[in-house]
Amino acid sequence: MTDTTSPTTLGHAEAATPIAPGRTPWKLEAIGFVLGFTLLALLPLIFGDTYARHILIMAFIYAIVASNWDLSLGYGGVFNFGHLALFGIGVYAYSLLTKLAGFDPWTALFASGVIATLAAILVTIPILRLKGIYIILVTFGFAQLVMQVIISQSAITGGTQGLVRIPGLYLFDHNMVRDGKFAYFYIALALLVASTLFLRVFVRSRAGASIVALRDNEEYAISRGVSIVRQRMLTLAASAFFTGIAGAFYAAYQRNASIDVFGMSLATIILSMVLLGGTSTIYGAIIASFVLTIFAEWMADFGAWRPMITAVLIIGVMLAYPSGLVGMIKASWGAVAGRLKRPA
Amino acid sequence: MSALAEILFGGLFQGSLYAMMAVGLALVWTTIGVFNFSHGVFMMLGAYIAWQLVELGLPAMIAFPIAVVVMAGVGWILQASVVRPLIGRPNIVLVVVITTLAAGSLIENGALTIWGPRSKQIPALIAGNTTIGGVGVSLHQIAIIVITPLILAALWMFLNRTRLGLALRAVAQNEDASHLVGLNVTALYGLAFAIAASLAGLAGIFMGGYRFMSPVMGSDPLLKALIVVVFGGISSISGPIFAAYLIGFFEAACSYYFGLYWTPALLFGVLILTLMVRPEGIFASRSRGLA
Amino acid sequence: MNPILSVEGVTAGYGRVTVLHDISLEAGRFGNVGLFGPNGHGKTTLLRAISGLLQPKSGRILFDGQDIVGHSARAIVGAGLIHVPQGNRLFPDLSIADCMALGAYSPRARPHEAENREKVVRLFPKLAERWRQRVRTLSGGERQMVSIGTALMSHPRLLILDEPTLGLAPKIKDELCASVMDISRGGVPLIVVEQDIEFLLELTQQLYLVNHGAVATEIKPGESLDHGEIMSMYFGH
Repeated sequence: MTDTTSPTTLGHAEAATPIAPGRTPWKLEAIGFVLGFTLLALLPLIFGDTYARHILIMAFIYAIVASNWDLSLGYGGVFNFGHLALFGIGVYAYSLLTKLAGFDPWTALFASGVIATLAAILVTIPILRLKGIYIILVTFGFAQLVMQVIISQSAITGGTQGLVRIPGLYLFDHNMVRDGKFAYFYIALALLVASTLFLRVFVRSRAGASIVALRDNEEYAISRGVSIVRQRMLTLAASAFFTGIAGAFYAAYQRNASIDVFGMSLATIILSMVLLGGTSTIYGAIIASFVLTIFAEWMADFGAWRPMITAVLIIGVMLAYPSGLVGMIKASWGAVAGRLKRPA
Repeated sequence: MSALAEILFGGLFQGSLYAMMAVGLALVWTTIGVFNFSHGVFMMLGAYIAWQLVELGLPAMIAFPIAVVVMAGVGWILQASVVRPLIGRPNIVLVVVITTLAAGSLIENGALTIWGPRSKQIPALIAGNTTIGGVGVSLHQIAIIVITPLILAALWMFLNRTRLGLALRAVAQNEDASHLVGLNVTALYGLAFAIAASLAGLAGIFMGGYRFMSPVMGSDPLLKALIVVVFGGISSISGPIFAAYLIGFFEAACSYYFGLYWTPALLFGVLILTLMVRPEGIFASRSRGLA
Repeated sequence: MNPILSVEGVTAGYGRVTVLHDISLEAGRFGNVGLFGPNGHGKTTLLRAISGLLQPKSGRILFDGQDIVGHSARAIVGAGLIHVPQGNRLFPDLSIADCMALGAYSPRARPHEAENREKVVRLFPKLAERWRQRVRTLSGGERQMVSIGTALMSHPRLLILDEPTLGLAPKIKDELCASVMDISRGGVPLIVVEQDIEFLLELTQQLYLVNHGAVATEIKPGESLDHGEIMSMYFGH
C-alpha cells in the first residue's frame, strides 16, 4: 500500500511545483554535483605525484574561501572585504587552540569555524545600517585591524614572525606526513563537498531567496517582511563557518601560520576568483579557483613576472567581461535559449 | 610638559601623513564614485621615482617636484586604463576595487623588479634635528607638519575658489548635469586621479625621508587612510582632514600612555564604537560633495 | 527661415530596448516648438539624444545645418544648444552663484557672463536674494529657476526645457510660465516638453505629439486646434 502511494504523491508534488525560470532543477544539479566531485576524487589516479596533489589541495582551500565569499558578496550583495580576515581568524584560532590551549586538532578545526562565525557576527553589527562603499571600508578596516592586533600581540601570536610547528590533523594511526598527501587531499575534498553542499542548499532555500530579494530591491523586500538585520547577519555568519574551517585546515596542512593571509595579494587573488567566476553562482567561484590556481602553477617559470602577468590578465578580463567568465557564458546561453523558446 | 609636547608633535606629524593620503581617496570617491585601492602604491611609486631622480644626480628640491608631477601623469593613466572604461557599468564599485587592486599589484611587483627588495632612503626635506619642549625632533618632521596644512589649504582654495575646482565639485554631484553645462567630465575624472596620485606621491616622498622605503611601504598608509575616511566620512574632503589629525593625536596619546602594543586594538575599538553610533563617520554631512 | 534643429530618422534607446523609432521633427522654422504626449514614450530620450547624452543608433540630428550625432555633450553645449533636464536635480550642494559660474563654463559663454548674469537676476529676482545659498535648501520652484538660469548663462542659441513646471504649485507655475515667455521674447528659440497643453498653446507655434517613440501628429501654425481636439488626439489612439 505505502509502496505505491508514496511515489505518486511525491511525483504529484513535484509536478505541481513550478520550476522557477533560469533555475536548474535540483535533480539535474544533484547529478552534476555528484559527477563533478567524483571526478575530483578520482584525480589522484591521473596525477600521481605528490606535488600535483598539493596544488589541488590549495585549489580546494581557495575554492572554499572564494565560494563562501560569493555567498555574501554575490548573493547577499554585502561587500564584505573582511572575508579573508575570517579565513585568517580560522588560521590563528586553530593554531592557538592546538598549540597553546592544547585542543584536539579536530575539535580545534570545528571550533575555528565557530570562532570565525562569531567574528562575522561581530563585524555585522557596525555594517547593519551601512551601504555600498561604507561596507567595503569598514570590513576592510576590520580585516586590517585584526592583522594589526595579531602583529602587536606578538607574545602570543608570534607577531610578524608567525607561528610554526602547529599540530597537524590525524586519522587514526594513519601517517599523515608520509602518505604523499593523500589523506590531506581527501580531507580537503570532503570539506569542499560539505561547504558546497551547504552553500547550494542555503542559496536554494527560502532564506537564500530572501537574501537575494534584499539585495535586488531592499525597500520592497523590507516591506514584505524580510528583516535586513537578521538576513545580513545570517548571510555573513553562513559565509564565515566554512571559511574559518578552511583557514584552520590551511594551518593544519601548512603546519604554520603567518600574517600573510591578511595581505592584499591573497585577498586580490581570491576576490579575482569570485569575480572571474561570476558572482551569485557558487560553482563559478569554485571553477575559477581551480583555473587560477593551476594557471598560477603553470606560470611558475615566469618567476617575478608571474604576479604582473596575473594582474594584467585580471584587469583584461574585468574590462572585457565585468560579470566574469561564467556571466559571459550565461549571457550567450541565455541569448541562444531565448531564441529557441521564441515561437517562429 | 614633555608628555604634552610629545603627543602634540606625534599627532601633528602622523595626522599630516594620514591627511595627505586620505584626501586623495576622498577626492576620487566624491568625483568618480569609485574607491582607488592602488592609492598606497601611488605613495610608494612617488617615493621611488624621487629616489631614482636623486640617484641620477638631481638635487632633491628639483627631483621632488618632478616626481610629484610624474605621479600626476601616473594617476591620469591609471584612471584612463582601469577606471574610465568601466564607468556606467553596473557593479562598477566592486569591479574597480579589483582592477585597482590588480593595477596596484602590477606596479608594486614592477617596482620590485626594477628597484629590488633592498631598503632605500631619500634625502630629508631639511637635514638636522632640534629640541622642542624637551622632545627631540627632526627638522624633516617639522617641515612635514608645516607644509601639509599649506598644501591642504591650497587644495581647498583650488576646489572652492577656482572655476576648475568648481567643475570638479560639480562632477562630484551630478554627472549628467555636468555634461549639460559643457564640462569635460572624462578630463575631470582624470584630474581627480592625477591630484590624488600627486598627493600620495608627495606623502611617499615625506615618508621616504625618515623611514626606509620598500615596494610594500604603501599598504600600511593605505590602511590608515581607509580608517581615516571611515572615521571622517568619505563624502567630503574636510571630514577626512579633521579625522586624520584626530586619529594622529589619538594614536600619539595611546602609544604614550598605553604603549604601541595596545594602540591598534584601542583604535579598532573606538572605530567600531564610532560606527555603531554614526555609520557615515563622525564628520560626515548627509550630502555628498567636495568642500 | 531654415530650421535651427532638425531631427532626421533618429532611432535610439538603452541597451537592447529601442525607445525612439525613426523619429523626425524640426524646430525653429515657425518659432517655438512644443512636444507633448504620454509619459514613457520617448520625449526625454529624444532630448537626451539631441544634447549628446545618448548616442542614437541611427539617424541625423542637424543643429544649424551641422550633423551633431557623435559629438560630445560638451561640444553641443559649446555650439549653443542648451538642454535643461527634467526634475531640477542640478547640483544640490553648490550655491546659486556656483551654478551660474558653471553655466558660463563653455568658452562661447564666458565673454557674456556678466551680461547673462544680469539677465538671469532680472528674470528671477528671487535668486539674487539667495545667491550664496545651497541649491538643496531652495524650494522646487526656485530650483527650477536655478536650472533655467544656469542654462541662460550658457548663452543659448536654442534652449530645450524638459517639463519645467513639473510638480510646481499653481501660483509658482504661473510665475515660471511667465518667465519662460519672457525668455522667448528675448529672442531665444525654445523646445519645450510639457504636459500642460494650455501653456504650450500659448508659448509655442508648432506642436508635436510624440507617441510610441515617433511623431504621431504634427500641428503647424495656422492649424491651431482647441484644447478639446488635442485631448481627443492624446487619448484617442
